[in-house]
Amino acid sequence: MGGFSGISAGNGWIISALGISVVFFGLASLAFIISYFPRAINWWNDHAQTPRHVFPLLGGVFGKGRRKVPSILGEGTIHEPGDIKDAEEALRLLTAHMGEPFKLPRLIEVAEQRGLVRVHSVINRLLVRGIIVGGADGLFRWAKGSENEGPLDRYNGDTTR
Amino acid sequence: MIPVDELKRYEIFAEMDLTELRLLSAMAEERRAREGEEVIRAGSPARTLYVLQEGGLMVVFPDGRAITLHKPGRVVGWSALVSPTHYTASVTCLTDSTLIAFPGSELLRLVQRNVVFGTKIMRKISEVLSRRLPFLQEKDKRLLKQRS
Repeated sequence: MGGFSGISAGNGWIISALGISVVFFGLASLAFIISYFPRAINWWNDHAQTPRHVFPLLGGVFGKGRRKVPSILGEGTIHEPGDIKDAEEALRLLTAHMGEPFKLPRLIEVAEQRGLVRVHSVINRLLVRGIIVGGADGLFRWAKGSENEGPLDRYNGDTTR
Repeated sequence: MIPVDELKRYEIFAEMDLTELRLLSAMAEERRAREGEEVIRAGSPARTLYVLQEGGLMVVFPDGRAITLHKPGRVVGWSALVSPTHYTASVTCLTDSTLIAFPGSELLRLVQRNVVFGTKIMRKISEVLSRRLPFLQEKDKRLLKQRS
């Protein structure tokens, strides 16, 4: 006995289908697990130092709804204090590459190229609060000591400047 | 048209009498601009002088240096009153802003007709100009020197 009749006689079709199914479900499961990696990494970054929140947050990580991650690469709205702080950090990184003092229009241009949203508004707030200061030479600098302040110390209740 | 009382708030018009303020009020218009919007482009014909009513502006000079204006009453677009009437810098809104726009031709006509008014407004413009002179390009400085 050989050929197709041999395969049929030895349950070859069923075994092949079973093998394909096992591989398919294996790969699908792997893809499902990998799809949660970014959330798990974000969660780890945000909460690694607060172990008492581990169990409640596990529900958030693996829950149905997608966790809202505060981001400056989002929908174009800036909420204080978190988003401004994030934007400030991103701008500080950019100016670290550009060097100080820096040209403000260039910083805005580079920040927009990097995908930061509402850069003008963010910079306006930093200027009004004296975190970025302009010199008589038309160049801008970060105010001395501003990088050492905690974000909440600087932003809470600060609406008058 | 912008109310006289509104214009009186700003330092540039502080020396104006009621008649002069009424003339300015008649020609002034409110202009709203969005965050990131370029209100003035360097090199383009200067047709309007603006006074900042609310918001924040960034004045960008051709070499990439800049100054920012946040205080109401700050003036941009002085080139509308000074030959060769082309803007020497670009102006972009840092946030949603409200500006008072004065048509340069009408303002210049008023300056030419009324010597007292002309002296007052040009004194204020020269104050603005002196603060921004370090940022101007050499060719613009030369032109201004020739005019003066």
